[in-house]
Amino acid sequence: VSSRIGLPRISRGKLFACAALLLNFVSLAANAQPHIPGNDDTVLAELSAGTRYSDVAARRSALNRVDVAIPLAQFYIQQSRLTGDLRFLGYAEAVLGGWVKQTHPNPDVLVLQATLQQSRHDFAASLATLDRALTIRPRSPQALLIRATVLRVLGRYLEAGAACEHFSELVDPRLGALCREGLRGLNGHLQPAYAALTQISPQGWLNSEKSWLYSELGEMAVRLGRNGEAKRWFEEDLTLVPTDFYVRAAYADLLLSEDRAADALQLLRGQESFEPLLLRIAIAQRRLNDSGLAQSRSRLCAAFDAERQRGEAVHQRERARYLLEVEDEPEQSLEAALQNWTVQREPDDALVLMRAAKAAGKARAAAPARDFVLAQGQNDVRVEALTATMLVSR
Amino acid sequence: MNRARVFGMLLLLLTGSLARAHIASNGFLKLTADGTQVSGSLELAIRDGELAVGLDHDGDGKVTWRELKASQKSLQNYMQGHLRLGDGHAACPMQFEPLEVNERVDGNYLWLPFVVTCGSSLKQLSIEYSVLDAEDPSHRGLLTLISKGTTQTAVLGGAQGARRFDLDHVSPWSAFAEYLRAGIWHIWSGIDHLLFLLSLLLPAVLLRRQNRWEAVPIAAPALVNIVKVVTAFTLAHSITLSLAAFDVIRLPSRLTESVIAASIIIAALNNVFPRVTEGRWRIAFAFGLLHGFGFASVLAEMGLPQGARLVSLVAFNLGVEAGQLAVVLAVMPLAYYLRSTNFYRRGIMPWGSTAIACLALFWFVQRAVL
Repeated sequence: VSSRIGLPRISRGKLFACAALLLNFVSLAANAQPHIPGNDDTVLAELSAGTRYSDVAARRSALNRVDVAIPLAQFYIQQSRLTGDLRFLGYAEAVLGGWVKQTHPNPDVLVLQATLQQSRHDFAASLATLDRALTIRPRSPQALLIRATVLRVLGRYLEAGAACEHFSELVDPRLGALCREGLRGLNGHLQPAYAALTQISPQGWLNSEKSWLYSELGEMAVRLGRNGEAKRWFEEDLTLVPTDFYVRAAYADLLLSEDRAADALQLLRGQESFEPLLLRIAIAQRRLNDSGLAQSRSRLCAAFDAERQRGEAVHQRERARYLLEVEDEPEQSLEAALQNWTVQREPDDALVLMRAAKAAGKARAAAPARDFVLAQGQNDVRVEALTATMLVSR
Repeated sequence: MNRARVFGMLLLLLTGSLARAHIASNGFLKLTADGTQVSGSLELAIRDGELAVGLDHDGDGKVTWRELKASQKSLQNYMQGHLRLGDGHAACPMQFEPLEVNERVDGNYLWLPFVVTCGSSLKQLSIEYSVLDAEDPSHRGLLTLISKGTTQTAVLGGAQGARRFDLDHVSPWSAFAEYLRAGIWHIWSGIDHLLFLLSLLLPAVLLRRQNRWEAVPIAAPALVNIVKVVTAFTLAHSITLSLAAFDVIRLPSRLTESVIAASIIIAALNNVFPRVTEGRWRIAFAFGLLHGFGFASVLAEMGLPQGARLVSLVAFNLGVEAGQLAVVLAVMPLAYYLRSTNFYRRGIMPWGSTAIACLALFWFVQRAVL
């Protein structure tokens, strides 16, 4: 365990070295000097839907009309998901702002607000907003589902289960089962939960509902070590919803775990604007000694640096992986992974923490994650394999 | 509202929103305060400029340089209303310079330079930043404020009203103290540099005669040896540290770290199987050059504050020297005292050096091979 104690660490505060890193790739013009474009017709930016000045008028009317505010906020949230551009979440916030502060807010407004808070990883605030929404409208499936999701991310499976039960009473029983079995898959009943979900026929479902089913199945299959099946679920999902970058990331991770970096890179081609996918691209490039690594690295570095400057720590899971798998800084990665574990407790969070601890030669630091996984009886072949090697190395 | 669609949208969002993407909206505000003036610039993403004042005049969804130039006046007016600088008592008038464009990793930014002139010499600067506060409440201004060689940073916006920054309290001396501490701390925690130096200094209190180590009879030659080795090491690593700090030379850290480990092995083995018995300062100098690059990587990560680069570099170097000297002063009198004992000549010299070499070999393998 103490094999690295006494080893001089040369690279404290690596992330603060972004400027230096960026300077090395001046071609990217990361810190380039301001200039006057040579040609008047040079296109400096392309504006996507919802980002025009003319939309500002619609936003103004949203200040007075909740029936404009709600669909507009939904539109922005959706745009944020499709384009990966976080600015849209800010626009949605602006549209909802006044309505949230009302003494008797519309529950739909509160549900959207909770969704925003959840996407900023402000889980406590999200749960509080959902409580308000559920007080006004106790039978709101949306509110109950977000509640179940947030509690699940926090590892509070009992409470999440209660929300799922409540949710099940209000919707298509198959969706209820999906919510329930997803949780059972995390607290010791992975095999039967997976079997139950494979029995669900998504006939007549919306694409988004099917996508939920396939991503759940895919992730379960990964934890069961049934990689072939996982790939089929992921592919099914991506055929249906090609923009599902969450599943694309999970698929890339699976390929990376099988040492198929080139295939992962192929899967992620053209997805550089999504940082979580860019992270996987950089990992694959590093393994392949790909010349694109320098550019990916400096972009990621800039993104994490901007986040740090803003005093936010939303991407700690990604940052931990970046530090470990791109920068080769196990100690710093461990720090980020530990911090991340205090915020969220999904299987991938446990995995990141254990990997970082192992690489840093501090197996004991992973105890919180290992204890949690054991206490929940969580089965995950990836965690089990890691635990085995960590025991051996001790 | 179509409930099914809303529900479906939320589902879609839920399965993915936990992995958040992309950089949020940031404006980059750089200010340099000097006397009664503050010169600076605000960098705003073109997309954000569009939201603020509307840049895409022909409505084709593209913003060209022509369109941006045509919006210069309205951008300046917007800035007047959303970025207010003052001396703590009153607002200071802002004058603009021509607009330019800067490319960042996430796209093009408009770069709006300006000069603010206040009535009296600035002791305090108040900044009220409300750019995009109505359009995007998650927008933030990342401030870099330089004054008297010291840099302060802050996050502005988010409806927090005016912020005040002291321009007097900070001084190059605070940077000096910080980098001095960093230098000392690095030499203490960076045990590899110390082991290298110790390996060269262990034989300084001895003489090599007929393949045996003998104690020096008086202190003078030992002192000369120590001074030579320490000076050579200091000189060498100061040279490369400065070169690297000012970006004249850069070596990959894996290479320097590996060679530093190798240098310890060589220095330590030279005590067990002596090859160089006179003029060990030459080893100190040659490898000292590489150790300098090692120090430089620490410094690169801290970054040198603009305007106080030289002061900080000197401070860091002095810190390294101070830490180094403290160790020499602690160890060498003891070595001198023990120099004629068998424990020192037959124990510490060969076996201590072997232990150091083994440790360094471990590092070498770890850094160069793994």
